[in-house]
Amino acid sequence: MSRATKAGAIRAILVFALLLALPFVFTDHWIVNIAFFGLMFAVLAVAWNLIGGYAGYIWLGSIAFFGLGAYALAITFQHVPLTSGYLPFFALIPIGIAIGIVSIPLALLLLRVRAATFAVVSLAVLFVAEIFAFNLDGLTGGPQGLGMALPPFVVTTFERPFYLAMLVLLAAVMFCSWYLAKSKFGLMLFAIKGDEDRARGLGVRTTTVKVIAFALCCGFTGMAGGLWAYYITWIYPQFAMDPNTMFAIILMTYLGGKGTLWGPVLGAFLLAPAKEYFAYTLGGSAFYLIAYAALFLLVMFFLPRGVVPTVADFLARHRRRAAVLASGPRPAGEQVA
Amino acid sequence: MRSHRFAWAIIGILAVAGSACSSSSTSTTGSKSPVVVGISLSLTGDFSDSGKTEQQGYQLWQSVQNAKGGMLGRQIQLKIVDDASSPDTAVSNYQNLITRDKVDLVFGPFSTLLTAPSALVAARYGYAFPDPADGAPKTLNEHLQNFFLMQPAGPLDTGLTWTRYILSLPADQRPKSVAYISLDDPFLVPAVALDRTAFTAAGIKNVYDNIYPTENVQMTPLVAAIAAAQPDMVVAGTMEADSFDMVKAMVTEKFNPKYLFFMNGASDSANFPTNVGKQNIEGIFSALGWYPEEKTPGNAEFVAEYIKKYGGDASQISADTAEAYTIGQVITEVVEKVGAIDNAKIIQQLHSSYWPSIQGSLAWDADGKPVGTLLLVEWIGGKLEVVYPATDATHAPVVPKPNWP
Amino acid sequence: MHLLIYGCILGILLGGVYGLMASGLALVWGIMRVLNIAQAVCVILGSYLAFTAFTVLHVDPMLAVLPISVVMFVFGVGIYYAFLRPIRRDRESLSILVTYAIAIGIEGALGLIYTTSLQHTGTSYATQSFEVGGFQIPTVELYAFLISVAILGLLALMLQRTRLGRALRAATQNPTAARLLGVDIDRVSAVGFGIGISTAAAAGAVYGMIYSFNPNSHYDLIGILLAIVVLGGFGSMRGAIVAALILGVIASVVFIYWPLWANLSFFGVVVVVLLFRPQGLWGVPNWATQ
Repeated sequence: MSRATKAGAIRAILVFALLLALPFVFTDHWIVNIAFFGLMFAVLAVAWNLIGGYAGYIWLGSIAFFGLGAYALAITFQHVPLTSGYLPFFALIPIGIAIGIVSIPLALLLLRVRAATFAVVSLAVLFVAEIFAFNLDGLTGGPQGLGMALPPFVVTTFERPFYLAMLVLLAAVMFCSWYLAKSKFGLMLFAIKGDEDRARGLGVRTTTVKVIAFALCCGFTGMAGGLWAYYITWIYPQFAMDPNTMFAIILMTYLGGKGTLWGPVLGAFLLAPAKEYFAYTLGGSAFYLIAYAALFLLVMFFLPRGVVPTVADFLARHRRRAAVLASGPRPAGEQVA
Repeated sequence: MRSHRFAWAIIGILAVAGSACSSSSTSTTGSKSPVVVGISLSLTGDFSDSGKTEQQGYQLWQSVQNAKGGMLGRQIQLKIVDDASSPDTAVSNYQNLITRDKVDLVFGPFSTLLTAPSALVAARYGYAFPDPADGAPKTLNEHLQNFFLMQPAGPLDTGLTWTRYILSLPADQRPKSVAYISLDDPFLVPAVALDRTAFTAAGIKNVYDNIYPTENVQMTPLVAAIAAAQPDMVVAGTMEADSFDMVKAMVTEKFNPKYLFFMNGASDSANFPTNVGKQNIEGIFSALGWYPEEKTPGNAEFVAEYIKKYGGDASQISADTAEAYTIGQVITEVVEKVGAIDNAKIIQQLHSSYWPSIQGSLAWDADGKPVGTLLLVEWIGGKLEVVYPATDATHAPVVPKPNWP
Repeated sequence: MHLLIYGCILGILLGGVYGLMASGLALVWGIMRVLNIAQAVCVILGSYLAFTAFTVLHVDPMLAVLPISVVMFVFGVGIYYAFLRPIRRDRESLSILVTYAIAIGIEGALGLIYTTSLQHTGTSYATQSFEVGGFQIPTVELYAFLISVAILGLLALMLQRTRLGRALRAATQNPTAARLLGVDIDRVSAVGFGIGISTAAAAGAVYGMIYSFNPNSHYDLIGILLAIVVLGGFGSMRGAIVAALILGVIASVVFIYWPLWANLSFFGVVVVVLLFRPQGLWGVPNWATQ
């Protein structure tokens, strides 16, 4: 194991250990509740980053799969008795795999177009999914919504099982993200982002690579959706597939650093609690929207690459300068990476 | 680079303005610690329209009650937070209100779609959950002990108010044919279904029956299709903007059914005339739980205080405002009777008897569904009049509907 | 049959107004590869300006269209210099996010100024109609259609006949060549964006007479506008207008028979077209996939 991966592994273990300890240290309901939403958005942002960050496709339909997962879980437990409160957590695994498989034909269809066309068409996918959720009321309850079976957990630690389940999901999606980025597969994705036609010309099987990233994104997003449905207990089409949530996920990814491993997680942890906090404190005025818009623009203009790459660059420069100062003038010809 | 700085300046100004103007505005006086009431409302986002009118009702109750010495001799303090019309935020807000700020009482949000998840959070911590305006039958099916819909009647009664009147007419005076049209909505669709069942049983011919979506409604072709069916009566399960656009489309189509009933929207005395034009409201029916002239406990005071605080006249008071005020009024009475802020006892008391309010006497079944009925209202002489049941009527119904001007 | 024809008439009238809104979107895309998500909120902004002109100054919205267009042109140019010009890298994708933020910012500002109550510009002729061959033609929708067509005509004339128009077209067709020929792309982009926004606001002025609106109304509208632009083939104004008329007719007709599925017809048509012709109706072949 190289030094870099070792440092990365230690960092990952440390972060997950802290996250694991959180609900046992801070037992207040409201803290665990906010942390749950933070984790949820982290899963969604990391999943979105697979296709949006690594491959550079602005995929605006991913929240439709969030809704699909939510409905899949809710409908399953309309027919399956809830013998244990933990059963839905395990049901998420086959649901996630099924959604990933279902998304493959859609991916083959959608990925024929690129850039802004792809963005708009993917938004159309979201709208179509929402219309179906509204109109297939025999299945989804339509506008009446669909109730989940009530989770039978004790009140004092009610949020904890959801939190831990979401943490496991985050670990899984992070592992996929890390594995993809370091493998040949990740290189292919980056090549697609750089210049897709050239990549194809060089023999990269662009379609296969994109479709796999797409299916992983949809599968994990669907699992997060199912968990969300179980936690929130009642789902309606306009919330299960909310375009504003979609844009929030993208903002988080950009804020933290798209195309990086930890960027989306950081973005989600910064923004998800901030969003709840602003709604809670700025409540009662449209300033909430204006503040949100201002934040969005600030990130786009001043941190277009995101926090993680910017800070990493800064540190690297700093270290290099220190090294230069220590060792005297740099030998001619050395490249600054 | 210059334009970059320009963007920066604009953003900076917005951010400063945002934080400066947003400081919370609740302040109280009094030596004892105040009773804190936590409320999450949709003040921004899709449902913000009604969220604001409810906020007025809650704030009016607070100032009126505090002037009278508050609750149990303690001043009342409202902690109103915004749920941005999102269930995640609504759930988080009630979590924060109950477990972080440890408020004494919570009142419900506006939207049907946020009520079920919010009420479940409150139920988990044993808080009573009086709700101003939920309508979904499915929420009531959750069988929550702590949930109370603070209206005289259950959500489906909106439509039955109309059937009671029509079926009270002698058979030969009833409309012969009916068109049903409804917004795709959690309580409007089942409410229209009840009307359909009643009218079909009474032998009124169903000539048109359809549901339209919540977005991008093109009323003119929709109304053209209804007009082509030539019904005597139109039963419209409308919410708000859709009722306005539907009336406008009917006027342009010159389609004038003899009996025209809107479940909501037409009962909004503040916005209906301005949106459809004052000349176009005559003879339109709707349903209401409350009206400004109602002789109910505290109503005259409510109307007078409203005008004092917000200006305007009685006809501009939204029923949403009255519903929110009702919650404050009823809970105050219950708390005074219990003698303590004890949510378990409040829930028990609410279930045990009738409670007087500006909307009349309120009582609930085990699921929190109110047991009373609504009033049928009609626009007569540019004014909203109660026309049925006869015991409450301020005016006799005018039928058939006069033609559009 | 009568209903079907009537649906087509209404669809064409409404399609004209949508065409005006969407043509600005297409123009902006063509010149600078910016997909303006704030186009719909600018329509609503135009509705509010006309509403204010009508209720406060008692100016008819039809007359207010001109000053509103001018004001919103300046507003659009300002937005361009403040928020769009600075985007240098990856403009195509980033502009979607930036204009989304602008949209919710304007929505918030409208909520502050006008509250979120529903409004309607209730002119005396707002609910009038006249009969032609057994069809009730709504006066206001006819006026809205005519004014949209007039503006589109002026725009086309400007693009064909003036120097500015030639510069705009050159920038659309080949930015690099245009620059070599001495076209100031930056200024042309600013003007183009201003025009795009002012067409949205002009359409909004008449839109507010047909529908009740509040600051949230733009969420419903933007989906339609994007569908129109995709169907028309992104940068093509002509395509956008034709697509608006097609989708207007389809939506109106579907609304007569199956109202619940009308919105699906919008997006369904888009998906089907993209399956067989990814560049849309008028788009330059292949660019969407290249």
